[in-house]
Amino acid sequence: MRFRVLCLVVAAAVFAGTVACDESLSSLTGPTPNLEPTLSSIQKEIFDTTDSSGRLACINCHNGRNPFVPGNLTAGASYATLVGTRSVEKPALVRVAPGDPANSYFIHKLEGGPAIVGERMPRGTGPYLTAGQMLVIRRWIELGAAND
Amino acid sequence: MTACRRLFVLLPALVAALSSAAQAQTPPDPPANAEGSAAAQAAVDDPDRDFNRSQPDFVVVNLPTTLRLPKFKSAFRVTHRFGRPLGQGDFGELAEDLFGLDSGAQIGLEYRFGLMRGLQVGIHRTSDRTIEFFTQYSVWSQPDAPIGLGIIASMDGTDNFTDSYTPAIGAVVSRELGRYGAIYVEPMWVNNSNRLPSELVDDNDTFMVGLGARVRVRPTVYIVGEFIPRTGNTPGVNHGTFGIEKVAGGHTFQLNFSDGFGTTMGQLARGGTGGDDWYLGFNISRKFF
Repeated sequence: MRFRVLCLVVAAAVFAGTVACDESLSSLTGPTPNLEPTLSSIQKEIFDTTDSSGRLACINCHNGRNPFVPGNLTAGASYATLVGTRSVEKPALVRVAPGDPANSYFIHKLEGGPAIVGERMPRGTGPYLTAGQMLVIRRWIELGAAND
Repeated sequence: MTACRRLFVLLPALVAALSSAAQAQTPPDPPANAEGSAAAQAAVDDPDRDFNRSQPDFVVVNLPTTLRLPKFKSAFRVTHRFGRPLGQGDFGELAEDLFGLDSGAQIGLEYRFGLMRGLQVGIHRTSDRTIEFFTQYSVWSQPDAPIGLGIIASMDGTDNFTDSYTPAIGAVVSRELGRYGAIYVEPMWVNNSNRLPSELVDDNDTFMVGLGARVRVRPTVYIVGEFIPRTGNTPGVNHGTFGIEKVAGGHTFQLNFSDGFGTTMGQLARGGTGGDDWYLGFNISRKFF
């Protein structure tokens, strides 16, 4: 009987251990370890902040004050700028299509897709967003691009 | 990961405790002059040492069977899954590549040990640097029960067990078909089967039901097959494989065809490669008893 109880303990230990075996998001997002798939987090870590890799904050240019730069990504304005809003460069696409990152022009611009008009963002020669950072932004869109 | 590492420290301690418990259940030693002959007699009488015509090996192709490993005995297995899709190119090109044998392969090495009667532990390493530790406890076995039942728990980790841990727990249910083979149903829950953080995925677990069969078509020749439908995190295609095997002494030689390269529970949960690709492979196993 004692043996069977111990077998159950082993099984239970494995089961309990599973809860903590998930990969951590921070290990994936490189220079922005606190980045999460919410707009508030993306606003803080991506739009507002130049990260430790040297990737420039978006609001350096997209701040609503420069008439030659479309889109205002400052806090409070970024959601309306992005979600469901048609792109100026490519009017056939919306910048962020909730639930559909593949057809969101915002993603095309950040990843430098072949069909973009103008330069890949952030403008210049990089550094660009890392693959891990892009996964988080894609996930925010997949989850419906909420104003959260 | 910290909690995982604690678990890895805890598990060997629990295994040691199990071993102690088993020893505690062992009947008191007979008088010294009878000790040698009694031990020898027990080894000879151990039914786990008998060849089982219905279940000649510890796996079907990748799924475990309910074959019991005798106490303090062991078994070794080599797996190969060649990387060339059999449907690539025409038959002439396939023959030129010797049906895939010229290509690289995912190779697995496995060793299992009977820790006590009905309880085995093992390690399986594949050449993508995944290491799986597993343990299986036999609850029922035929002919003492109408079906065989085993409980299996495993944990595999990538990069030589330093990253992306995938624990699994499940049951192995078997029904022997006289002396002509056996059929298997193996419900299995695999946690963290998605290598991305759970915040980025819809499903991080896979529940799968391994279905397997082994049929003896000649005195020492078997046809084997497996199919593993899944739900939850289900990348790739459901794993399927079939093959033919020959048992010779303590060896089993198996030639198989699979829609993926997986041999550990985590790899099986992640499915086959997709499309209509099938691959040649083989298993060679050796029992040391």
